[in-house]
Amino acid sequence: MFALQDLHLQGLSLLSPELTLVTTALVVLMMDLIWKERDSWRLGAIGLVGLGAAALQLVSAHGTQGTAFGLVSIDNFGGFFKLFTSAATGVCIVFVMLDRRERRHRIGEYYFLLLSAAIGIFFMVGTYNLLLLVLGLELASLASYSLAGFHKGEKRSAEAAMKYVVFGGLSAGVMVFGISLLYAVTGTLDMRVMSGALAIDPVGEGVARSLAVALEQSPGMVALAMILILGGFSFKISSAPFHFWAPDVYEGSPTPVTTFLAVASKAGGFGALMRFFGVLFVAPDVGEMVAAYRNEIGMVLALVAAATMTLGNLAALRQTSLKRMLAYSSVAHAGYVLVGVAAMNQAGMEASLFYLAAYYFMNLGAFGFLLYFSGVTGRETLESLRGMGPKAPMITVPMVIFLVSLTGIPPMVGFTGKLQLLYAAMGPAEGLQLGWLAVCLGLNSVISLYYYMRVVRVLFLEDSDEPRPEPQVPMAVFLCLMAFLTVWFGLFFTPLLDLARSGMDLLT
Amino acid sequence: MDLLNLNPENASTLLSWLTFLPLIGMCVVLMLPASNLRAIKIATGLFTFIPLVLATQMYFGTFDKTVSGYQMVQHFEWIKVLGINYSVGVDGLSMPLLWLTTILFFVAVPASETVPRLSKSYFVLLLLLELGVLGVFVSLDFFLFYVYWEVMLLPMYFLIGIWGGPQREYAAIKFFLYTLAGSVLMLIAVIALRLDTGTFSIPELVAIGKAGGFTGPALLGMSFTTWVFWFLFIAFAIKIPAFPFHTWLPDAHVQAPTPISVILAGILLKLGGYGLLRGCFPIVPDAFHHFAYVLGVLGVIAIVYGAYVALGQTDFKKMVAYSSVSHMGFVLLGMAALTEWGMNGAALQMFTHGISSAACFLVVGVVYDRAHHRDLNAFGGLAQPMPRYWALATIAFFASLGLPGMAGFVSEALTMVGAFQSQVGWTDEAIASGWMWGPFQWLTLIATIGIVMTAAYILWALQRVFLGTLNEKYQDFKDISAREVFSLAPLLILCIVLGIFPWFVLDWMEVSVADLMQILTFAG
Repeated sequence: MFALQDLHLQGLSLLSPELTLVTTALVVLMMDLIWKERDSWRLGAIGLVGLGAAALQLVSAHGTQGTAFGLVSIDNFGGFFKLFTSAATGVCIVFVMLDRRERRHRIGEYYFLLLSAAIGIFFMVGTYNLLLLVLGLELASLASYSLAGFHKGEKRSAEAAMKYVVFGGLSAGVMVFGISLLYAVTGTLDMRVMSGALAIDPVGEGVARSLAVALEQSPGMVALAMILILGGFSFKISSAPFHFWAPDVYEGSPTPVTTFLAVASKAGGFGALMRFFGVLFVAPDVGEMVAAYRNEIGMVLALVAAATMTLGNLAALRQTSLKRMLAYSSVAHAGYVLVGVAAMNQAGMEASLFYLAAYYFMNLGAFGFLLYFSGVTGRETLESLRGMGPKAPMITVPMVIFLVSLTGIPPMVGFTGKLQLLYAAMGPAEGLQLGWLAVCLGLNSVISLYYYMRVVRVLFLEDSDEPRPEPQVPMAVFLCLMAFLTVWFGLFFTPLLDLARSGMDLLT
Repeated sequence: MDLLNLNPENASTLLSWLTFLPLIGMCVVLMLPASNLRAIKIATGLFTFIPLVLATQMYFGTFDKTVSGYQMVQHFEWIKVLGINYSVGVDGLSMPLLWLTTILFFVAVPASETVPRLSKSYFVLLLLLELGVLGVFVSLDFFLFYVYWEVMLLPMYFLIGIWGGPQREYAAIKFFLYTLAGSVLMLIAVIALRLDTGTFSIPELVAIGKAGGFTGPALLGMSFTTWVFWFLFIAFAIKIPAFPFHTWLPDAHVQAPTPISVILAGILLKLGGYGLLRGCFPIVPDAFHHFAYVLGVLGVIAIVYGAYVALGQTDFKKMVAYSSVSHMGFVLLGMAALTEWGMNGAALQMFTHGISSAACFLVVGVVYDRAHHRDLNAFGGLAQPMPRYWALATIAFFASLGLPGMAGFVSEALTMVGAFQSQVGWTDEAIASGWMWGPFQWLTLIATIGIVMTAAYILWALQRVFLGTLNEKYQDFKDISAREVFSLAPLLILCIVLGIFPWFVLDWMEVSVADLMQILTFAG
């Protein structure tokens, strides 16, 4: 009896970042009722403190391995994504606080929902159990649905929420169906049992088979399950062919929510996807049968990656709204990150983690810029930015750096990210030739240059009589900081490399 | 194997100082108030003058032209995990171009006086551009090389796009897209080399290439080295620009303000030729051997086609732009000939064209500032109101034309002789029968048509602008000012000096060119 309690306490201590976030979310909700203020920055501050505390716990737990309650796994890989999520959610909360157009009603719920979505992502990326993965994914999705429609009087926002719910519900269903098929052929929901890394099913039905056996017995079922599960993930990371919701939802949602969806939520999707395919196919001891299957999965992912980046970039070329352009750009970037996963080896996984870290800096910067200008001008079109470049250099010069980084030009961190991905795609492969994908990635960078530079062109190369925009010091400071980090990590990226490499304990 | 000569006597931080001085200058300019344009100009002038002094000192002092291999090297680990090093050094190929860079950037500052809408950012970007260019010339690590290569793009985009002519936005994005497309190919080739050999170091790659040590797989029926060769070649050919990748150049030149045209023609095009000599041919010499005749053909097409199109231009600046395409064709032809003369000629042509085309663009800028158009047919008789300008313009254009005694003559003559001597494509039977004739002999013959046409378009242009009856409108044009002479003079002096004493650059390149030829012919 005593031993069992001990076990529970240990599990709880492993879950301390999650518990911190849950507590924070509840405190925010409670204090909102007590303070009843419409325009309170205090609630945001509580959220930030909570996220900071969770991040500190994550950093101090770096290197810890363990399993809480047989379901939640603590490792550096999950830690990377949890840290990423806390940092991104923190920035989103700051964005809400800085948002000039936010009507400040139901502000407590706004923060609460953001924190809940973060908690969902925490569970989604931190488990080997497919059931918990789905639960985490659903928690994150439900919170995101309500966030997308947060401006409930606004038609666009309502439409965004509606589309998001329909697509989200459908894809979740598809994914759960895939998981049930996988359960049917393997008899387990634990990825490690499927991969053969764990001999006994910790949940304990005792009828589990490994994926290798399942592949031998019913290859068609496994293939169907893989496709359906990939479809579910595809929605979350907004990759082709399930990316159609992204531009509409991103455009209709309030900008801080768009930021959350494009950065935190997408990274969470990648965390779960990489854990799933990493453990099942890339880990060193998967066996011959699965290793042969790996190349087929890799090729499917490579095709998805190529389609995603090309469709995203081509669609972005024609956008006149900055927000919609960034939405398509983030679709294209999902394709880039997938290149690393498609390589189906450790170098590729590392590259994907690295690219996500790079994506964090440049994309949060770009969305911050969008938030500032849509607040100033009340519009989100490229047209409204005309001639603004020299009028607000502390805002627009960082934006140029973000755009150049998104294109993948040195000395920005986006370039080093792309370098790693190209490395992974062109690297030594057993039976998986992805050289064409590297060329495709390169050509896509050239395409993307055109629309990213259109923003620069409107900002700096064209003139207008618009007045100088009203400055917003915190946003300028934030953007300059992000721009500095974008350049700094572009020149000295060893820390990011180490971080990405440390996440590879997933594969041991 | 110490390929960098990393002994203490050879180690030096001079090159890093040279590269980063413009960056320091940029920070200084950024801190000056935007309203004080005069102080900004003086600061920019100062921070382009110090590198000039430093480079001149290196050229005539520190640099030992009798030694083969790299000098003034600096080397330390930058990103250890990926084997990326900060390693810089110069040899006889890069030293003259380094010097040329500092000269032209210094010249560009006074020439910027008449650029419309001049502001602080212009000078910041100019200094950033200089950082990129200097960096490319000193890099001995492909990663570093690539980073500097790309650092140049954004300042150039803005310099054309903000301060250019009416169609500047189109020209700027066209320049950017073309160059980035080339860069992507270069990046893929560099990564392929890195994956194959485990190093980014250019000297090491050259050594491995010489030993035939690449083991990469053949793809789609083409060997690994062939792929690498074409990817790198296209990347650099876009910059040269070689036919058929040249179409961005006339647009960029016509739209760019005068000082930016000067830098573009004088230095940026040379980066393409330099890149071929540093990072393409010596790394994959066997593929280069195999395709040398293709390069020769492309070079001759550029020579003849560029000259032919220049002949048809009515825009003074566009004519000079196409003359650049034509003249850079000689660089390609000389390199492809695979003879010592040809290689020396090509390397010298990069320097002399850098001087003469820069002078030509300055000359065009002078008349444009007065007339605000560049229509060759609308001028006439300008020699009367502007006699001094006429004299200086004639020197610049005759140097470009390749008049004996002027800079262009020596390099073009060397190139032609080198190309004529070329044994590329000679069959054994032909040699046995004493018929010493092959593809390059034909090419040389065709190239002479280009030379004749060059003389035609330049003389015709001079005639239309300076001779004939004077247009009433232009009667009271002021003659060339002291500031304009100050920009032009160093270039014109070099044009004449190099025409009479070509060893002034040739001697510096001799040892390195011989080393390069040894690598290239060894593979054959």
